[in-house]
Amino acid sequence: MANKRKPVVAARSGPSTAMIIGIVVVVLFAAAVGFGVYRSQQAATGPVAVPPNATAEGVPVGRASAKATIDIYLDFQCPVCREYEQQSGATIDQLVASGQAKVVYHPIAILDRYSSTQYSSRASAASGCAAASGVFPQYVKLLYANQPPENGDGLSAAQLVSLGQQAGATGSGFATCVTDQTYKAWTASLTDQASKAGVNGTPTVKVNGQVVDNTDAALRAAVAAAQ
Amino acid sequence: MTPGTPGNHGPGPGDSSTMTTVESPRARVLPWLSTLARLVLGGVWIAAGVAKITDLDASVRAVRAYALLPEAVVQIVGPGLPPAEILLGALLVLGVGVRVGAVISTVLMAAFVVGIASAWIRGLSIDCGCFGSGGALAPGAEPTYGRELARDGGLLVLALFLVRWPAGRWALDAVLTRKDPT
Repeated sequence: MANKRKPVVAARSGPSTAMIIGIVVVVLFAAAVGFGVYRSQQAATGPVAVPPNATAEGVPVGRASAKATIDIYLDFQCPVCREYEQQSGATIDQLVASGQAKVVYHPIAILDRYSSTQYSSRASAASGCAAASGVFPQYVKLLYANQPPENGDGLSAAQLVSLGQQAGATGSGFATCVTDQTYKAWTASLTDQASKAGVNGTPTVKVNGQVVDNTDAALRAAVAAAQ
Repeated sequence: MTPGTPGNHGPGPGDSSTMTTVESPRARVLPWLSTLARLVLGGVWIAAGVAKITDLDASVRAVRAYALLPEAVVQIVGPGLPPAEILLGALLVLGVGVRVGAVISTVLMAAFVVGIASAWIRGLSIDCGCFGSGGALAPGAEPTYGRELARDGGLLVLALFLVRWPAGRWALDAVLTRKDPT
């Protein structure tokens, strides 16, 4: 065994070819592992369970034949979204009630890192349960009214259930749905779709596909233009 | 374990590439600067990778937010980057294949600088996503492209320094190359 090793070429000519190839291969391999894990996570979710009264794109509210479609991308952990709801909620309700517009809510989860419990994802999945129980709009208002501070623990599952009951979700199905995070994959899918649609922040409001400023005036003007 | 024994005069036989025969202050300081650069650059790689690896979906969103790469590539770079960053950081901290790691770091940092600059020029409203934000700005926050560019530019300089002077103290490279048949 001894003396059979090839003499190592002195390092003054830089790293050996084997070293270069070795390092590059190992780094690429690490990247490949990440890619493999990501793909297997994607495959494991399978077909996404969509809440009743919702779609794979979000939660529609209002008359389907309305000429203007308002897409609202929101995150329940986002304070600016809460402010937007307080500022424009009444206007939106009015535009929906008059039949001029319908709203598609996209409760996405991009602020999970601002709570220790992935509150964005849990609240969004719970809002799917609220949609299934037919109380989504009321639930959204309650979630905003009780929005937990950033960098805290978020609301507990019990609190999310209790707010749902306050919104009118009766029956034991709602509690199970929230606790089991039945619509977790739906949330992930909405978040991914929003990213693909170029939405990188919340709230993002679109009217018939065009982003509008987060003001009442801009929203009204865009909806009026669509009539 | 300290591979480079203290009191060892001048660059040892294992210290590669820069062959300075005369003991100058520069020759004494350079290896330590190299070590410092390795630890800083490697540490940042590890921190960035660890921050992202627990949420690969967010990493994909962060890459997508730049709107520069085709979707198929986004789905490779997004989940591939965090583990590659951690490994690259570990190699630099340990001092294994420093010059190769430094070249890879240079290429990646240059790509990040180009990406951030391009997002700035195009007026995008994103976070660089360097440390696991998924590309989303903090609620109500404005983009901080200048700061991100300064940081990545500084790291790029460190990487280039290591390409030129990879040999430092406390590096396993010194041990690995010492197996000379003498």
